[in-house]
Amino acid sequence: MEPVISIRNLFKNFGNKQVLKDINLEVYSGQVIGYIGPNGAGKSTTVKILCGLLTDYEGEVKVKGFDVKKDTLEVKKIIGYVPEMAELYDVLTPKEFLSFMGALYGINEQVCSERIQKILSAFSLADNIDQRMDSFSKGMKQKVLIASGLLHNPDVIILDEPLSGLDANSVIIIKEMISRLARDGKTIFYCSHMMDVVEKVSDRIVLIDEGRIIANGSFEELKVQQGNKSLEQIFANLTSKDSLASTADELIKALEN
Amino acid sequence: MNPVNKIFLKLVLLPTAVYKSMGVNMDQLRSILVTKLIMDDRRPNTIQQTRTRNKGKQVSMATLGTMLMSGLIGLVYLFAFSIGSNMVTSLTIYFSMFFFMLSATLISDFTSVLIDVRDTFIILPKPVNDRTLLISRLLHILIHVSKIVLPMSLAGIVYLVMNVNIAAALSFILMVLFTTIFAILFINAVYIGILKVTTPQKFQSVISYIQIVFAIVIYASYQVFPRMINRFGLGSLDLSLQKGILFYPLYWIACTWKFLYSFHVSSREAIGTALGLCLPFISIYLVVKYLAPFFNNKLALLSSGSGTSATARPVNSSKHRFDYPLLLSKLFTSSPSEKMGFLFSWKMTSRSRDFKLKVYPSIGYLAVYVVIMFMNTKSMDLQELREESIKSRILVISALYFTSFILTMAISQIVYSEKYKASWMYYIPPVDKPGAIILGGAKAAILKFYIPIVFFITVAGLVLIGPGVLPNILLGLFNELLIATLLVYVGNKLFPFSMHQNTNIKSGSLLRNLFVLAVSGVIALFHFFIYTIMPVVIIGAVLSIIATWLIMQSIRNIQWKAVKSSYSED
Repeated sequence: MEPVISIRNLFKNFGNKQVLKDINLEVYSGQVIGYIGPNGAGKSTTVKILCGLLTDYEGEVKVKGFDVKKDTLEVKKIIGYVPEMAELYDVLTPKEFLSFMGALYGINEQVCSERIQKILSAFSLADNIDQRMDSFSKGMKQKVLIASGLLHNPDVIILDEPLSGLDANSVIIIKEMISRLARDGKTIFYCSHMMDVVEKVSDRIVLIDEGRIIANGSFEELKVQQGNKSLEQIFANLTSKDSLASTADELIKALEN
Repeated sequence: MNPVNKIFLKLVLLPTAVYKSMGVNMDQLRSILVTKLIMDDRRPNTIQQTRTRNKGKQVSMATLGTMLMSGLIGLVYLFAFSIGSNMVTSLTIYFSMFFFMLSATLISDFTSVLIDVRDTFIILPKPVNDRTLLISRLLHILIHVSKIVLPMSLAGIVYLVMNVNIAAALSFILMVLFTTIFAILFINAVYIGILKVTTPQKFQSVISYIQIVFAIVIYASYQVFPRMINRFGLGSLDLSLQKGILFYPLYWIACTWKFLYSFHVSSREAIGTALGLCLPFISIYLVVKYLAPFFNNKLALLSSGSGTSATARPVNSSKHRFDYPLLLSKLFTSSPSEKMGFLFSWKMTSRSRDFKLKVYPSIGYLAVYVVIMFMNTKSMDLQELREESIKSRILVISALYFTSFILTMAISQIVYSEKYKASWMYYIPPVDKPGAIILGGAKAAILKFYIPIVFFITVAGLVLIGPGVLPNILLGLFNELLIATLLVYVGNKLFPFSMHQNTNIKSGSLLRNLFVLAVSGVIALFHFFIYTIMPVVIIGAVLSIIATWLIMQSIRNIQWKAVKSSYSED
């Protein structure tokens, strides 16, 4: 089977700093990839490259056979991206904002407006559809963001910390939605720091640290490799050089007189 | 912290014993004030806000800038002393200007001084008692007002010491205090007026409209006042003789000044003095008794950011109302992304506060300018206009070309936004030609900020001059469109509302803007010379349309590479 996402020998520099060092990754249709790593590991850089936002990298990145560098537009059509904690032009209403996004994706206006109505109703935002977003809570804005990533019915969905600000019920809805979408053959790239969620939603977990992939496999495989631990513990073992307990010690000591 | 703030801080903290006896925690009080003063120093003041900041520098020492500005404004008031046959008249005018400018400055600053929303998160959860918080707020307001009032009154004080005597100056200082108290009452009343008619959520945007109005009125007064003096010879004016002057509070203050300084007033001035002496006490009473409690209630609402969905009303129920931007977008744009750029810019220009603050005053300035132009040309009769004399030519040409100032302003401001980070939305979808979005934005600016003016000019021209003026108006219109599109094309290729206001404006872009300005000057001059040669005017108009159309095509074809390099240059 042809991989939906294929990354080969990906290097990326910002000035003198090398942030991605030889990333190799293949993702297949219907998979949910949990993409995790500490702050500054290179997660968002990978995501930005996948979405065609950064094109000055070395190596080969293909989405559904399209080269991200050459066929950026084709790739953008396939991908739905929900950025992390993104700002919105909040003097717009969700309907206006989503119509704009829809227009840029080239969705038929009629279809687009029906979809907006349906998605927002599903997120129980139907009553807020004509309200300006400046009065919205963080969770409401996050729902609009998620809607903007799904609007054009993309084959690959990249979610960057999609649950931030959502209430418990919405979290359940999103998690359920992710597994349904995967069942329909969509590929999902899930970036998060919330290990317990990643552990549950992902078919495969890719752990990246200092620009390198240091673990790649299903949670079961990781458990076999690293001993029967939670993902959180595995993450800590693989990515921290110092003992986290001693760091906590230092913190406590700092408060003492 | 700058030296001025340090001095102020020392001064207000002098009565330590008094504060302590009130139960104020001095360490907390000091640190709250220090922090607030540092923050004041880094926030651009009113004057800086309404102007494009062209230095990428972080704002610091804003206090000194504000004080310097206030001092300069204080100098301008001196011209009040040249009006009127007596000091009471002069001072009435002086205090009127003082009151007006002070209110204008404070009305916008006060929101950030009085209600710092962050207080709720930062100070309230800490163990700070109410007394400390209250005193810190009052002292902060006191320092803030002093920083404006002291330099503003300096010129007046010096003038009185030099030209009258020290007693006059001392009495004057007391009256400055009275005026300041009255201004604070006025601002409080305005705030409450706003809160009465609107929701706390809309408070900020109403305040910004008031700022816009103030800016325009100030501009108008600087244009109109000197002319009025020339015309009416205000040197002999005596306000005490005017009917109804006793209803004017700033006259009371001038009378009180005279009374305190000379103890010699006319009977009418005596009434004024009596009222003037009561004014500050009544003001304080009203503020403390009625306005402050009401205000605090409403402010609590404002700062808690409550009423998320309950109070927010739908912007427009597009189903019921006729959506004319949509119709315009259908008529004037060709691709979905161009249409999106158009609609987006159209809506954002109506709703974005920072855009309105920058562009709407210039519309007001223009209106003032037009009125003055008409006042000056009153002497010109219709016959002269119809004969296409030099004068009428200048009038039409300047009407057409000067008004484009708004368009250039709108087009250069449309790329800026406080919410520039939200511009990620342009990059995610598969947009083939980003130029289409930029073109859509430019078209929105043209249709919204220039076409209505041209329409107005056309109607005026048809009524006053007759249909013969039409070809020239068309030529002017198309030339302006050419200049505007040229400005977009040679300027930075940026998406609407996608750039931070503070970003450096590069010397290169300044040159480009100068170039565009020069081009429009040359075109206007050229137009002036061919004004009466009808065939040339018509040919010119046709050429202009073609050129505009070509440039629009070029804008539409702007590639990602050009757009991205415009952003990375900075």
